[in-house]
Amino acid sequence: MVPGQLALTVLMGVFLVGVAVFLSRVEDWRSYRPAAGSGGYGEAVGEVRREKPGGLVRWLTTVDHKDIGLLYGTYAVVAFAVGGLMAFLIRVQLITPGGAIVDNSFYNSILTSHGITMLFLFGTPIIAAFANYFVPLLIGADDMAFPRINAIAFWLLPPGALLIWVGFFTAPLGVGIEPAQTSWTMYTPLSAEQPNPGVDLMLLGLHLTGVSATMGAINFIATIFTERDESVTWANLDIFSWTILTQSALILFAFPLLGSAIVMLLLDRNLATTFYAVGEGGGPILWQHLFWFFGHPEVYILVLPPMGLVSYILPKFAGRKLFGFKFIVYSTLAIGVLSFGVWAHHMFTTGIDPRLRASFMAVSLAIAIPSAVKTFNWITTMWNGRIRLTTPMLFCIGFVSNFILGGVTGVFLASIPVDQVLHDTYYVVGHFHYIVMGAIGFAVFAGIYYWFPVFTGRMYQRTLGKAHFWLSMVGTNITFFAMLFLGYLGMPRRYATYQFNEAIAPLDLVTLSHQAASIGAVLLLVGQVVFVWNLVNSWLEGPRVEDGDPWDLRETGQHDREFAWHERRIETAITDGGSDQSSAGDLDPAGSGDDPNAAGGDDPTAAGGDDSNATGDDPDAADDGRDQ
Amino acid sequence: MSLDTNEDHGDHGGHHLPAVDDWPRGFGEASWWPFVTAVGAAGIYVAAALFVLGRGEESIVDPVLGPAAFAGSALAFLVGVYGWLYHAFVVNFWERGTDRHSGRTLRFAMLLFLGSELATFGAGFVYYFFIRAGAWPPGNLPHLVSSLVLVNTAILVASSFTLHFAHVALRKGKRNRFLALLATTLGLGVVFIGGQALEYYEFIVNEKFTIAEGAFGSAFYGLTGLHGLHVSLGAVLLGIVLVRALRGQYSAGRHTSVSTASMYWHFVDVVWVFLVVVLYVGATV
Ligand code: HEM
Ligand SMILES: [Cu+2]
Repeated sequence: MVPGQLALTVLMGVFLVGVAVFLSRVEDWRSYRPAAGSGGYGEAVGEVRREKPGGLVRWLTTVDHKDIGLLYGTYAVVAFAVGGLMAFLIRVQLITPGGAIVDNSFYNSILTSHGITMLFLFGTPIIAAFANYFVPLLIGADDMAFPRINAIAFWLLPPGALLIWVGFFTAPLGVGIEPAQTSWTMYTPLSAEQPNPGVDLMLLGLHLTGVSATMGAINFIATIFTERDESVTWANLDIFSWTILTQSALILFAFPLLGSAIVMLLLDRNLATTFYAVGEGGGPILWQHLFWFFGHPEVYILVLPPMGLVSYILPKFAGRKLFGFKFIVYSTLAIGVLSFGVWAHHMFTTGIDPRLRASFMAVSLAIAIPSAVKTFNWITTMWNGRIRLTTPMLFCIGFVSNFILGGVTGVFLASIPVDQVLHDTYYVVGHFHYIVMGAIGFAVFAGIYYWFPVFTGRMYQRTLGKAHFWLSMVGTNITFFAMLFLGYLGMPRRYATYQFNEAIAPLDLVTLSHQAASIGAVLLLVGQVVFVWNLVNSWLEGPRVEDGDPWDLRETGQHDREFAWHERRIETAITDGGSDQSSAGDLDPAGSGDDPNAAGGDDPTAAGGDDSNATGDDPDAADDGRDQ
Repeated sequence: MSLDTNEDHGDHGGHHLPAVDDWPRGFGEASWWPFVTAVGAAGIYVAAALFVLGRGEESIVDPVLGPAAFAGSALAFLVGVYGWLYHAFVVNFWERGTDRHSGRTLRFAMLLFLGSELATFGAGFVYYFFIRAGAWPPGNLPHLVSSLVLVNTAILVASSFTLHFAHVALRKGKRNRFLALLATTLGLGVVFIGGQALEYYEFIVNEKFTIAEGAFGSAFYGLTGLHGLHVSLGAVLLGIVLVRALRGQYSAGRHTSVSTASMYWHFVDVVWVFLVVVLYVGATV
């Protein structure tokens, strides 16, 4: 207990200091200081100075979608590190059957926080990061529909994280607030009856992050519906924006429902209501219905935009258009609708009505079809393509591979008889980690590497990127394949120790598999250290990208809007914004509103063909002259 | 309104430039208000946490801390919202030009928000249907379908009509009528809230039917409470609209926030009718 907790506290502390240092440097580097500017361009033009305040104030007051995207991204990477360290402690603990480092209740705490952190504090925000930065660029909008709501939504997140994590800081003080030990599913009656107020704090924090996600979702839908440039029609809307649109629609219904379910749980805990009371009230099954009615859409909330990222990036390095673009869109919408009709596949073993169970099995198997459609489309896109194994492409291919394993195991679980054997074993853990780490995580990495030149103006170190990929790919497959195997051996999930009777399971083999999983986790950890190092170091010191087309996409006609914007920014920076055009541009709120190159007709991937004339008309990219 | 259609897209964007006299002044893309609003909103959650920690005999924190934090945070929140809305919509109301585009966007966003509200209410109703499908009644029910509820329902429904005709009057340019009907609506809303408070008082004090009264008590107070919060918020929104109207804002062509506030109000009204049918009447039949 004490050493584990100390270890975690120290790790978190070191980490937070690191982040603070990083932030302060980034901020210095990025912020615009009028005094240092060469000719003070843009400054005195008109009544509005286009620039933002300098230093920390800039980040606290920003309503620019790109800045908010960077804030979301930083936040999510911090959460990823915290959740990752928790996962690592879990894996270290399970090296020996008796538990190697922490006591049972601390194990429960980090297990709970790992899940909550990764899903709510890393997953949703990192997607919001990409969406904030790139959706407006991709659809030719000036900004989000509601820039200020956008900022509010972000600023609700850090307090949410603090409420969720606060138990780890107060536990050593002995005041009686421990981290929650409910597991991420917060099943009642356990979660209703644990007296620890840390559970209340976690629930409040979760509710807050849910409010934030809902505000973001409304904003994205409104943006994609109403802020598109005239040249962006539904027919040529890019695939990433499509997935964000669908995802936001899912959030719109899923998160508020979870919010109400959480409030009811809080009332049960504090005001003696009976919402989930055993016997008289709705009982534990009600919680499970509400939770999974949210929870299953939530998994698609997390996976659809990453699918969009892969659908967007993978064709760029295969030199071909996305195969079956329309079908990818349709399958996205189909998944969006179906995902609300499968929640009870998480409850096959609870004794719900068998007829109900069978129908949920049918829909759950059906949802595999649109997922498979996408998989075939990705593979056929690469087929006969001119594949370039850049780091983002490697992660896309890794995504497809891991998604197949995660998806196939999901189909097995969706079949009732199989699930009755495998439910609550490590097989389930293996299944969803293939997807959340192997697929979602990989797509996020692909997005970060692909757009690194856009959001940093610099290039990452390619060798480190590849090292990151191989460590992650091998680590993921060792760790989570071992978990699938553990599931077949009958190892139940969530246990802090496993010194069970030989008659139940072959203990040697179980131990060995756990150790294999932990070795994979070491590889994963090393890989992510490489990633963070590469990210931070290249952001600060990487070579500046002077090329408007760093991925050589123009040859294949795939130089899309966001790189066109990137190119304009470079050119404006070079010629300096002193011309008349730029002063006119200064009154135009942001980026690419009047970007002429969008005349790409119906073909979603061909928008880049005529971007050579983009630069003349859109001088206002000067707003990013601050980077130079 | 034919002259609007062609500027629908033309004026794409000008409205995004946050006001120049925002705080901090003079920057195109910076405002403190979202941050202040978020800090206030998050503070309300922290206050709830402190309230939980301050409960019981061995409370972990001083019991006054929760309410105090709530007061402070609510203030910060309101100040933030005020600054935000004031600078974004109110201060240069007439100068901003007729911007059909942003009006459309705002109405659409309100629609989306109402969609999310369906889910918010949905969870509570699911609980109620869950217990309603079981053994009934679960213990003693209070006297539900009283004249008070019926009168209150009539009041709320009437308020939807007055609001609708207020909006119609505004669009026809009959300003006084608009103001009178809007004020009536707000008055009816306030009376409704008073009626709800009276009912709570009856139940809790006279009939000893409280939120901790078992399965139905949870459903009753959960749902009516959630609805009551919504009506109160709706009343605040109408109040803001009324104040702005009294200060001369809105016209036949400029009435976006009148329509968004009405959408919200009608929604809350419909939820109430549904609630009366299933919760009040449905529990007794
Ligand atoms: C291909 C379609 C999929 C099917 C048919 C499927 C099916 C299932 C089933 C039946 C379970 C319940 C297993 C049990 O608890 O006994 C399950 C669990 C889970 N799945 Fe999937 N799944 C699919 C895709 C996904 C995706 C895309 C994600 C993530 C983004 C995901 C995340 C999860 C999670 C997190 C759990 C475990 C929840 C928990 O109990 O903690 N699944 N899946
Ligand atoms: Cu599921």
